[in-house]
Amino acid sequence: MTGLDALPPGASVRGRADGFADYLVGPASRRRLITDRFIETFEAWGYGFMVTPLIEPLDTIAAGVGGAQQSALFRFMDSDGALLALVGERTVSVARVVATQLHEGPFPLRLCYAGSVLRNRALNAGRRRESLQAGCELIGADGLAADAECIALAAAALERGGVEHIQVDVGHADFIPGLLDSAGLDATAREEVLAALARRDLVAVESALEGTDAADAERRLLLAFPTLRGGREILDTAAGGLRGERPNRALEELAQLWDLLDAHAITDRVHLDLGAVRDWDYYTGPTFEVFSVDSGFALGSGGRYDALLSRFGVPLPATGFVLHVDRCHDSIVRRTGALPERTVLHVSWERDAHADALELARDLRRRGVACACDLAAGGDGGVQVSTSGVRWSHGGHEEHGSIDAAVFALGSGTP
Amino acid sequence: MKGLRIALPGGTLFESACSLLNAAGVARLDPARFERELSVRDKDDVYVKVRPTDVPVYVEMGGCECGIVGKDVLWESSRECYELADLGFGGCRLVLAAPRDSALARGVWPQSLRVATKYPVSARRFFAARSLNVVVIRLHGSVELAPLTGLADCVLDITATGRTLAANNLVEVVEAGTSTARLIANHAALKTRNESVGALAAALRRAAAERLTAGAA
Repeated sequence: MTGLDALPPGASVRGRADGFADYLVGPASRRRLITDRFIETFEAWGYGFMVTPLIEPLDTIAAGVGGAQQSALFRFMDSDGALLALVGERTVSVARVVATQLHEGPFPLRLCYAGSVLRNRALNAGRRRESLQAGCELIGADGLAADAECIALAAAALERGGVEHIQVDVGHADFIPGLLDSAGLDATAREEVLAALARRDLVAVESALEGTDAADAERRLLLAFPTLRGGREILDTAAGGLRGERPNRALEELAQLWDLLDAHAITDRVHLDLGAVRDWDYYTGPTFEVFSVDSGFALGSGGRYDALLSRFGVPLPATGFVLHVDRCHDSIVRRTGALPERTVLHVSWERDAHADALELARDLRRRGVACACDLAAGGDGGVQVSTSGVRWSHGGHEEHGSIDAAVFALGSGTP
Repeated sequence: MKGLRIALPGGTLFESACSLLNAAGVARLDPARFERELSVRDKDDVYVKVRPTDVPVYVEMGGCECGIVGKDVLWESSRECYELADLGFGGCRLVLAAPRDSALARGVWPQSLRVATKYPVSARRFFAARSLNVVVIRLHGSVELAPLTGLADCVLDITATGRTLAANNLVEVVEAGTSTARLIANHAALKTRNESVGALAAALRRAAAERLTAGAA
């Protein structure tokens, strides 16, 4: 019998659910550090940190997100039979808090959060079902300046978190639906094209447009869809021959947004992306995604969602974004290789020197140097401090170098 | 990082995929090289030959920026990739086929049906629109044996020429879909490597269209 024929004794109690992860020493603190830097940046921009629960009533979530997202939630029953779910994102929770507790403002409200989100989706190698997200919501501001602030803040936070070479793609949720309206397509063809776009199946977009009487300018744009990217100049290219009011208004808003992003001094990292495929039922204005060449997934995404708050009874405009901490961590590791761990000094002591050792440890910690003190005597001369092969003595055997030299060498404790 | 990493499907589409890349002027690939090397570097690009069902996995997870794979594989895959171009080759059809002497072969649909298939996702989608009591039996090969042995009433399978079906006394009842090879791309790569990915898509589209015209002439 090989080990694969049956579970070894005790294995059933040692299992971990698929799609979930343990983070061990190193990755766990690095992940926390990235989150901390995101939150620090959010707070530095005036966004107040808040916490929402991991569980929400299914009805609350259903008011905010569409059917496809609802079906990907972990759902269970409350003691009174009501349905609950583990949150799949946290914007809806923030919207609920604003509608019930912060509806008197003062507006605009700047809020930020960080926490786990869960998706109960098909198990596929490499896909997480629990992930850590940090995000911001700017509520009660309808101008493009609010959208620009969110984009600039997302970029600033990612860079502060250590993600290099980011690229922000800015689109508009009304452009493609507007384009389909002004193309003069009938409802069936329109639905077909939107569904194909949502599946990211451009071959199907093409065949859905074939045989329709879509106007030339619109057809040209829909077929050129993945290449509708670039700087401000693509807006003029796109506008050529476009008659519809909706797509033209979207282009006009993107032009203004570009100028605002220029004022934020981040247009060197921004592309306008007219072909961005987003959830068109949720977003109502500018949208964006942040990428890095080190990741196959978007590291952050966001946009304007003016319709959400009204579903909670407070018709307030809103814009915001979320950053995916785990993907950011993956992309940093991919660029820099294994991450350095915090150096921890090891304090050992010989008989009678325990109090000296503890005093030294207190002193080191005051100076910001991490250290762990032996629990039993074992040193060979007073008190000794060691780290990865280097050893210093405290009192007596100065030939090994002094503690002060060690502290100096370690700087603030993070070499 | 200049070039792209491109996943190619092993199996029936492999040689055609290589020759289309060559015809498009994108690469000069010798299919035999892949028997000796796990990954082949050509110009700035790197090509890997993987199982067809693994192509969308490599592309979604960012292991490769682009891939070539049959639409039939994409039907079954829940991976999120951009499908950029129909490459025209590797044409085949997904059909429901039943034994020649069955009622189903004469177009009479029974109340309940056991279907053997390697395409369970497509099968569920195909039957979702029909009010039948269907049991989908997922097999990994030689599905045409299932009706012969009584395991299933019919099969939902890919056919290119129809010869295998005929050899096993099966006749086509209805076509569920048609498939050709597709160029797929990773979501982030489409944004961060837009020019390279766009150039690859344009070159392959052009070569596929030229092939089509040459074939028609």
